[in-house]
Amino acid sequence: MSLAAYRTALLTLLSHYRRHPGQLVMLLVGLWVASALWSGVQAINASARDSYARAEALFSQQLDRIERRDGQPLRYEDFLTLRRDGAPVSPMVEGEVELADGTRLPVLGIDPLTLPEGGGLGAAQASETLLRFLRPPYRTRVAPETLATLSAEPGATPTLASGGTMPPLATDRTLPPELAVMDIAAAVVLLEASGPSHLVIAPEATLSLPDEWIRHSADNLTAPGQLTDSFHLNLTAMGLLALVVGLFIVHAALSLTLEQRLGLMRTLRALGLPGRPLVALLATELLILGLVGAMAGIASGVWLAQWLLPDVAASLQALYGERLGDELSLPWYYWAGGLTVTLGGLLTAGASSLWHAARLDILAMGRSQAWHGRFQRQLTGMAVAGGLLWLLAIGLGGWLHQLPPRAGLTLGFTMIAAALLGSALWLPPLLASLLAVLARTLRHRPLAQWAFADVNLQLPRLSVAMMALLIALSANLGVSSMVDGFRLTFLDWLDQRLVADLYLRPPADRYEAVADWLRERDGIDALLPTRDSETRLIDTPMQSTAQPVGLYGVTPHPRLRERWPLLDAISNDPWPAFQQGAVMINEQLALSSALSPGETLTLRTPQGPRAFQVAAVYADYGNPRGEVMLTTERLIERFQAPPGSIGLVLPPGRATDISALRDELSQHFGISRDSLIDQATLKQQSRTIFERTFAITRALNGLTLGVAGIALLTSLLAQAPQRRRQLAPLWAQGVSRRRLTGIGLCQLGGTALITACLAVPLGLALAWSLVAKINVAAFGWRLPLHVFPEHIATTLVLAVAVTLLAALLPAWRLWRLPPGHLLREFDAS
Amino acid sequence: MRFTRLRRLVTSRRVWLTIGLLVMLALVLLLQQRSDDSPPESFAGLGEETETFARAEPSHQLRFPDDHGPHPNYRIEWWYLTANLHDTQGEPLGIQWTLFRQALASPNDETAGDNGDSPWTTDQLWMAHAALSTPDSHWLDERFARGKPAPDQQGQAGVEAQPFAAWLDNWQLRSRAPNGDGLDALTVSARGIDDDSTFGYRLDLTAEGPLVLHGDNGFSQKTADGQGSFYYSQPFYRVEGQVEIDGEIRNVSGQAWLDREWSSQIMGPTQQGWDWFSLHLNDGHKLMAFRMRGGGDDGEDYLSGSWISPDGDVTDLANDTIELIPTEHSSVAKREIPTQWQLRLPGQDLDVTVEARNPERWMDTVFPYWEGDVTVEGSHSGVGYLEMTGY
Repeated sequence: MSLAAYRTALLTLLSHYRRHPGQLVMLLVGLWVASALWSGVQAINASARDSYARAEALFSQQLDRIERRDGQPLRYEDFLTLRRDGAPVSPMVEGEVELADGTRLPVLGIDPLTLPEGGGLGAAQASETLLRFLRPPYRTRVAPETLATLSAEPGATPTLASGGTMPPLATDRTLPPELAVMDIAAAVVLLEASGPSHLVIAPEATLSLPDEWIRHSADNLTAPGQLTDSFHLNLTAMGLLALVVGLFIVHAALSLTLEQRLGLMRTLRALGLPGRPLVALLATELLILGLVGAMAGIASGVWLAQWLLPDVAASLQALYGERLGDELSLPWYYWAGGLTVTLGGLLTAGASSLWHAARLDILAMGRSQAWHGRFQRQLTGMAVAGGLLWLLAIGLGGWLHQLPPRAGLTLGFTMIAAALLGSALWLPPLLASLLAVLARTLRHRPLAQWAFADVNLQLPRLSVAMMALLIALSANLGVSSMVDGFRLTFLDWLDQRLVADLYLRPPADRYEAVADWLRERDGIDALLPTRDSETRLIDTPMQSTAQPVGLYGVTPHPRLRERWPLLDAISNDPWPAFQQGAVMINEQLALSSALSPGETLTLRTPQGPRAFQVAAVYADYGNPRGEVMLTTERLIERFQAPPGSIGLVLPPGRATDISALRDELSQHFGISRDSLIDQATLKQQSRTIFERTFAITRALNGLTLGVAGIALLTSLLAQAPQRRRQLAPLWAQGVSRRRLTGIGLCQLGGTALITACLAVPLGLALAWSLVAKINVAAFGWRLPLHVFPEHIATTLVLAVAVTLLAALLPAWRLWRLPPGHLLREFDAS
Repeated sequence: MRFTRLRRLVTSRRVWLTIGLLVMLALVLLLQQRSDDSPPESFAGLGEETETFARAEPSHQLRFPDDHGPHPNYRIEWWYLTANLHDTQGEPLGIQWTLFRQALASPNDETAGDNGDSPWTTDQLWMAHAALSTPDSHWLDERFARGKPAPDQQGQAGVEAQPFAAWLDNWQLRSRAPNGDGLDALTVSARGIDDDSTFGYRLDLTAEGPLVLHGDNGFSQKTADGQGSFYYSQPFYRVEGQVEIDGEIRNVSGQAWLDREWSSQIMGPTQQGWDWFSLHLNDGHKLMAFRMRGGGDDGEDYLSGSWISPDGDVTDLANDTIELIPTEHSSVAKREIPTQWQLRLPGQDLDVTVEARNPERWMDTVFPYWEGDVTVEGSHSGVGYLEMTGY
């Protein structure tokens, strides 16, 4: 055959869409939304990874830190003494400046000449002249994103709130966003620091330090990528969910167009087009559609990501202290990846259609009943496949149960995916048998019987949309149960955890003076000083290597003892033991090291390893790492922890003038007014962080549900003309259009309701997996499972509403159609 | 590895390496400055800045001990020590200890406003290299520091003339005899890490001869058109001390050579690099010779040197009295490096082969070069150091 003949054949195949533009729209919409959500999530992930990579490449990340135990700034002489001893330490000063417009910008002052190798001297030389960096007027090096945030040009000298100016700006792509790096000489002046805030040293360099110094190991600061992996995995799972739902639509659309073109294909085959080129032509068609859909999807995905990114950035900052630019930065593989995934998905969805087209029997073609007969066989296949997937899910669940609690995040998601897909596959057989039973039961009411038989006939197409709806509904119910359950737990926990009325973080050098002054002052019931530090846990049952843990020192005041959120304890009142030297550990540590109350753990202390009894386990939401809590006194004594913050307990029932206290603190000690925070503000801040963290989850969830709605709408629209033809005889037999429309709506509403009923247990199972497995693996805390009846009701209503909304347009058309037209359509078929 | 044996004697020295390094540094800075898209600032570019520095010129009387200290009016300066040693088993070893100073701003430059007395401000860039060689291996490390023009005992790096001390961190070259000429009795020490392997040395140097002024009473010409530097040496050190390799300590002895050089002038654009020899001959003579590749008359190489008698009398070797021919190249660090040379001084009846003990002496520092110990054979025999840059 000539090329022209193939071209004609392809055009002939494509001409189908001219007659049925609805199907083309459905196909493209499916592809578009699937790839948009997926690429949106991937864009966020890619952008975040870029930020992490830059943050990890930054000097301070892989280097050990050396500080004074008392938190005082270092002197030049301290640095000098260590260097003259041969210790390859490098000074750094950290701080924050306030710009004239109120923006706060973290500043890092470095000495590029002594930074350990690989620590950034290379970057300093490559990106800017070392000379300009080292000499007045110096340079402020910032990431391009930061430059954009400051809306400044390179070379500009931003004005500070204090009236001074920063050194001229210069861009440096290797830097993470929201950070200004400059020479230490410039930074010390800018930050009004008396010296470096700490020294850094390569982790492998050995060094003996005087007692008043402390060295923090670099691997105690887990790499941000590692820490945030779970967060991004959650996002990826959401994106994947949307992709699957979208591909359901594509699948439905493809089989519909193929079925309707059976006659056309038979004609083409009869005209001499061999089977293989026919499949090739169909594949070409798929490719063209795929490219168009994927490109539109990726473009919208980028837009979606830009819309979501500020929330993502805020969550990551709050959860892990990671700075993320709010500008997208997309590497080439992002685009390639998006295209590949969409096209791959499309081919998967279209594979069965191509397979059928390849095996077409020319003589058997054209009988749509044959197609329906195959559907019956498909139902059996679906039931079997669904069963296998459930078996897989149960198997994975069993495996997951064997694993330590903090492992198996990917496994958990796979299990959920298998269970969701398995349930979705069971839906059509379930609907079909249910319909058959109902039709038999109602065989004395012909119209009802016809209605059930008719739904059964619609099922091949409708079922795919219903499967999409089932997945979206379950995911929606599961995720919203998890999020709202978490909110309840979290708010409760926040109330327990924030025991003091006011919180103050005095500067280290004035800490003692401030504490003494507060003790003397009227109107303060008690001071609850807290401190923190870090060390290593040695020889836990589950880990052979020394695991870094945080240390948290609290004052066991009665107020704190009453409220502290304990999950498990050696006795009803573990506090006396705590006061006598036992420790409490957070849930994260208990899970990761398999420690429970009554057992002992060994910590590395400046005096050597020391064993502590575990008195209790407490909830510690939002903390990414394991933590050991002991009394502040013991923390000072054993670990020489630097001064931290002070909680102030006010007398109950007496209004204390916080503003006056702020003024006095500022007057006596020069402490800025915002160093003193009241409990309500802290709670508000925490709530905001919480809401932002789950804003993305909710948004993606809502969008997925929207995708399912679109799936329904498009599949109903696509088969509307065919449906109408089958209504004509009924109308001719005297069933009014109003009744027909009503029946149609009931058919769909009923199907949706059944789907929703199935979605409820599935959604609850999903919620359980999320709180009991996924969250534990991802964040290290377990939540109680909350069931919200209102969410279940919402799910049911939502399902019917979405379906009816989707059915409305075809129904309205039917309503408007002159009956004669119906007959003509029937005649034509 | 190719261990060819030596043939002939040559000349020596390292100044050029150093200049080259600093030139490279300057060029890098200069290029980057050009590509820097930020607007010009008050701080003058390096090119113009040269004018605010002093220029090394002939008929300038060197004065000691003051000239052992730094010369912040000149842009670049170094204290450069090499030693040919052997341990008690007779195995030959070599060490290098170098401190470079480069001014970031001239003391006369008032345009660059400074922020007071903060110890963190800098107008000098200090760079130190330490190396240790055995016949089979080579260890090296480098350090950088910011600083003020010395004398300043309070800095991370600096040099004081009296009593003499030059240091960067714990890498130090200081006088053991505070009363005498600061360079007569020195102790040098350094410790470094190279590829997870530690090395270090602590050596006592005792001068057994006078200081030697090169060229025209200490002005050493480097190009045919008269550029040059101030250059003197103490080539007569006897060395006793210890070296340490991965914790293993060896007692060593031998001879050392200290070079002092400073200038503001940068090599011309036609010069690609240099080859520098400092040789201790067994008959007690010392020989310094260098070849600037380019920069001579009609674009020829420019050669110069000093023939030093055992009691310190210097014969200045002019461009046409030295023959310096590379006779064998080795592939080192993906470069072709001449590691065997024919060196002839017809006026001194000297005809020797100078050969690297091991071609693998590449100094893979931020500004890389070749520096290593050599053997001398032929009409005279001996040991020494060779430095080659720009390859």
